Amino acid sequence: MVPGAFVRVYFPTHEKPRKPGLLHIGYILANSPLEAMVAYTTSQPWPTGTPLSAGVRLFTAEEAKRLNQSRPFVLRLDVLAKLPMNPQWFPEIEKEGEGVIAVVPSRLQEELTDLATNLVRRRRDLIQMRGI
Amino acid sequence: MANARNKTPSTSTARDSGARRSGAPKKVAITLRLDPDRARRLQILAETENRTLTNYVETALIRDLSLREEAARAITILAAPGTSSIIAPDDVVRGAEESDAAFARRRDLAVDLWSIPDNG
Repeated sequence: MVPGAFVRVYFPTHEKPRKPGLLHIGYILANSPLEAMVAYTTSQPWPTGTPLSAGVRLFTAEEAKRLNQSRPFVLRLDVLAKLPMNPQWFPEIEKEGEGVIAVVPSRLQEELTDLATNLVRRRRDLIQMRGI
Repeated sequence: MANARNKTPSTSTARDSGARRSGAPKKVAITLRLDPDRARRLQILAETENRTLTNYVETALIRDLSLREEAARAITILAAPGTSSIIAPDDVVRGAEESDAAFARRRDLAVDLWSIPDNG
């Protein structure tokens, strides 16, 4: 699994952070050989008139297409999951391609790293860790 | 307007001060004034989802509150059982085309994120 990849993952929910949730596409923000920090994505559009949360990056249809995704989507760098890299969480990790849908270009990866870094540095006191 | 069609106990009246059988917190009745066109559109949307207008409006407001609460948090990290609370900088996997500077920034971010304690 490589950092900067969009990958199929059973992303946990706020209600049950310790259990695999529904199959989503996640973004690998960082990983070790054993664990990954994955950001949530959804194709549900951001509600009109609602202020954009810090850490949210909207991808247009064109950008999504370049990343092998059929619909515009929202990347939530403010909703992360720390997951073991095994089939319980990444259903295709042992298959060819490891469930990777696309790997972002380096420039975009840097943009996303900077977005997450700024969020962590500026609002560290508002980070919530759940589930351990 | 919102409570005009309410036929279920999902919204109690202000005079309904008795304890609810389910033990759920008592609800407060409010009056909502909308222009007729907007009210009609909301009614159609509610019927499409097989809800009462009251329930539809309540759900929309809960969703809005939830988004605002979420926006007030910087980051939520959901941690799976058995994951570690530390990552050694040398263990952070580097991207194939990642520059030294970009990798250093991302590695620092990873170390920082992994070290955040459970406060949930």
